[in-house]
Amino acid sequence: MAELSDIANEFIREEIEEYLERPEEIERNIELFARIRPAMQEIAAALIEGENDVVDRLTQQALADGTEALEIMDDGLIAGMGIVGIKFREAMIFVPEVLACARAMKAGMHYIEPILSDAGVEPIAKVLMGTVKGDLHDIGKNLCIMMLRGSGFEVVDLGVDTSDDDFIDAIEEHQPSILGMSALLTTTMPNMGKAIEAFIDADVRDDVMVMVGGAPVTQEFADDMGADGYGKDALACVELAKRLAGVQN
Amino acid sequence: MKQTSPVKAMTSRQRVMAALKREPVDRTPVINPTSVATVELMDMVDAPFPHANRDAPAMARLAATGHTVLGFDSVMPVFSIIQESSALGCKMQWEQKDNWPTVRMNEPIWKVPDDIHVPSDYLSHPDIVCVLDAIRLLRKEFGDDVAIIGKTMGPWSLGYHCFGVEPFLLMSLDNPGKTMQCLERMKEATIQFGLAQIDAGVDALTLPDHATGDLVSGEYYKRFLMDMHSEFVSDIPVPLILHICGRTVDRMDYIAQTGMAAFHFDSKNSPSESAKIVADRISLVGNINNPETLFAKNPEDVRAEVIKNLESGIQLVGPECAIPLQTRIENLVEIPKAVREWHSTHAHVHPPSHTH
Repeated sequence: MAELSDIANEFIREEIEEYLERPEEIERNIELFARIRPAMQEIAAALIEGENDVVDRLTQQALADGTEALEIMDDGLIAGMGIVGIKFREAMIFVPEVLACARAMKAGMHYIEPILSDAGVEPIAKVLMGTVKGDLHDIGKNLCIMMLRGSGFEVVDLGVDTSDDDFIDAIEEHQPSILGMSALLTTTMPNMGKAIEAFIDADVRDDVMVMVGGAPVTQEFADDMGADGYGKDALACVELAKRLAGVQN
Repeated sequence: MKQTSPVKAMTSRQRVMAALKREPVDRTPVINPTSVATVELMDMVDAPFPHANRDAPAMARLAATGHTVLGFDSVMPVFSIIQESSALGCKMQWEQKDNWPTVRMNEPIWKVPDDIHVPSDYLSHPDIVCVLDAIRLLRKEFGDDVAIIGKTMGPWSLGYHCFGVEPFLLMSLDNPGKTMQCLERMKEATIQFGLAQIDAGVDALTLPDHATGDLVSGEYYKRFLMDMHSEFVSDIPVPLILHICGRTVDRMDYIAQTGMAAFHFDSKNSPSESAKIVADRISLVGNINNPETLFAKNPEDVRAEVIKNLESGIQLVGPECAIPLQTRIENLVEIPKAVREWHSTHAHVHPPSHTH
């Protein structure tokens, strides 16, 4: 079993010590970072700090040094985003900080994504995400998308005010394994259930696992409308998506 | 509870104004600092959305039902949070009867402080005039009997609407100085609309400024808004009710230092914990849960939440935020009913109550 002192990067050690509280998460992250090479730990640290310029530079440098794109993504970017998600869930950081981390992730993925795509590397799963009809709020959905991408999912973002037909067309076009719907308003929350009914009528309901979330949404409401899962925040969304995709944490 | 000699019967307006000043009341007032409009009430007075958000007589008719049908002690003509943003030039989606109007925040109108411009004819914009005219109609209808509460959006919320949520929040992290400049410029819209509503006849104003714990830290509230909210107290001479949705206990101590008359808080925060934090420096308004209780449960569940608030010493009882438009009337009328019945078996209270 690895020890905290096995992690080379001092910043990462401090992050784990200071911010992680759940024993299983501490153990998992110590094991993870202890086996990650120092250069990748440095990328993870810069991402956690939200330093997009540094992530940009270190990613280019790592690629130039011959590091595999997949290693940079898994051990640098995704590992760093894992810590960010936990800090956000525990209200140790808030949305502005997460947005900065996501911007840093994007800076790194700018170089990584085309390489992985050319190499035919598959994402964990493809997820369609949209805010439901009548609702123009997207910060919650966008946070989920950032965390999903930061965890290795491919996400197609349908934006806001998404009609049932738009969802159905996108299911047929992109053939995702998971579809996520979000609503902030109590008035638009029922539109999730209506969309699920429309999926049944269009004979596409069995093609996707449906997850729902948003400020007024509850597990009970999700169950009533026939969703396959409910996530109360962005990290819960990732855990749910992994479960729906059949991936072990 | 501090026991006092009974206070003589008050009008709804007297009761609300006394509670906002934490003075003795004959019973706890029931108010609606955001909105209690529902589809059922729209049908009752022929004032459907979106018409009731843009036509003064319809707005006044729908607002009046808060008192005439539901029995609340106040009326609130501003059902949404978009009148100012519409007047500032944001793109709007006015929606239909069963949904609130919303700003198209993904099509922001401003990017930098120099873009910010409160038009010289801001107060003449139809969506501003509509509110002012509705207030005048309500004052004419209710005279001194019912408290009329207006609403003027704070600059943080206007920032979401005019800059877009993500750009505004990223700017706050990347360049706090620039963000302060934006807030300084946008606050003009808050003050102008607030003063105009006072001229039209409001007794108090809700000031929504959504620096919520669901988005930003308590320290953010202190850094960016605490002093500005104190300025609003000086510049807008009626009791101000600050409204912030979501988790806010980590910033209630700061809010209590602003001099605001009251804080309208969300059911994500415990009434007793909130009352302890603000410690009589400010009144609390709330916090009946909307989606799970008022929308989805029954009158007995509503009653239980009302009692929890009363027993925690909350000075003004009401829904936590704008209620779902499909909320049943029987759940809403239960709020004032439960308050009256609770007081019939409890001594009159003299706020501040919970520290005794």
